[in-house]
Amino acid sequence: MQPRMMPHPTPVFSDLYASYAAGCLDPAFALMLETQAELRPDLSRTLRAHEAISGICLETAEQTRLRGGALNEVLAVIDEIDLAGACSCTAARAASAAMDEILALPEPLRAAAIDAIGQKGWDPMGRGLKRLALSTSSRMEVELYRISPGASIPRHSHKGSEYTLVVAGGFSDERGSYGPGDVVINGPEDTHQPIGDEGDICYALAIRDGGLRFTGVMGLIQRLVGAR
Amino acid sequence: MVALDLITAKPEASALRKSARLVANGVPTADLAQRERHADCMAAIARDKSRPAFAELFAFFAPRLKNYMMRLGASDSEAEDLAQDVMVTVWQKAALYDRSQASVSTWIFRVARNRRIDAQRRTRKPDLAPDEPMLLPPEIEQPDSAVARGQMEGKVQAELLKLPHDQLMLLRAAFYDGLSHSEIAKAFNLPLGTVKSRIRLAFLRLRGELDSAL
Repeated sequence: MQPRMMPHPTPVFSDLYASYAAGCLDPAFALMLETQAELRPDLSRTLRAHEAISGICLETAEQTRLRGGALNEVLAVIDEIDLAGACSCTAARAASAAMDEILALPEPLRAAAIDAIGQKGWDPMGRGLKRLALSTSSRMEVELYRISPGASIPRHSHKGSEYTLVVAGGFSDERGSYGPGDVVINGPEDTHQPIGDEGDICYALAIRDGGLRFTGVMGLIQRLVGAR
Repeated sequence: MVALDLITAKPEASALRKSARLVANGVPTADLAQRERHADCMAAIARDKSRPAFAELFAFFAPRLKNYMMRLGASDSEAEDLAQDVMVTVWQKAALYDRSQASVSTWIFRVARNRRIDAQRRTRKPDLAPDEPMLLPPEIEQPDSAVARGQMEGKVQAELLKLPHDQLMLLRAAFYDGLSHSEIAKAFNLPLGTVKSRIRLAFLRLRGELDSAL
């Protein structure tokens, strides 16, 4: 066996990627797919193979004539944008040192996180743990977790399914350890208590179709305050 | 800007068949040289804010984008506005285009697709199969070869045009019109299982080219 001499893995067909390529996948999942592809060259290639088919469909599409002067209308819009853009660039560069970790996240997650920090900001959840609610046009809940080494997410189950992509660092729960690019699925019947691995700070992207249901003390608090 | 939720209709089956036939009969398509030319235009827009380069891309893509939006059910004037919006975004984001990663048409389709998602919000939650690539561990691989990737789309297109008519129609319905398998089954009056297997088959036929090029 000479694993390094192996050819590229063959892109396999995926309904999920076809749906993504056509623009019909739920935006929360699209965000997860794109982020994972940034972390995993093999998936990036498979994703690109699916998108290439969509792109070729556009290239070979029929044409519908635009109204007269359409190009000039667009150029006029561009003039306005270029004028406005020259003024606002400097403000955008004022990122603080605390943003460095966020800036290291792969796109498009980085853009979504920067957006969310500008709106509600991080929600502290105890020592070494915080979460950031990301807004997408999906009905699913989308959150980015920052887990310091050794910090643990309170034991919880889920009202629906939860999909978690490890973006940086790693975490472990009762069933195993997960590193960058791994996706973990938990169903309503699964209860777990993830703990941040030693080493780099763990960033994890979670999407779920129902809220978290904490068990134990956190569960009592959750029921008392009626949160989520 | 166009109001949300304006695109609700789905392409008629007859429209799907018609355009697939046109492609199969050899509608003028961008060849390799044209693809290079488009990438040069993007570079000129990013570097020099070149308006002639933009006008060239506009002439090629805007009528196709308008057609795409109308296929999805937008009215003539809505489709016109959406196509113009997409071209404005192309101007703004030209610097983000990387010719070693995708052809200009794939990149512009991506912009149009995202614009469509904003306008339409008709998205699906996935039904994850256990063998979805996203759930499998990474495979061992060689470093990327940008040169080979640049040629990939040309090869895929050539192969795409050789597909049997029925496979091509279904591929287009899934990858371009974004219909679900059950919607395709209904539009083409085919059993669901046949739709699934034909789309898979068509992709696998292209895979030979994708595999050698990627």
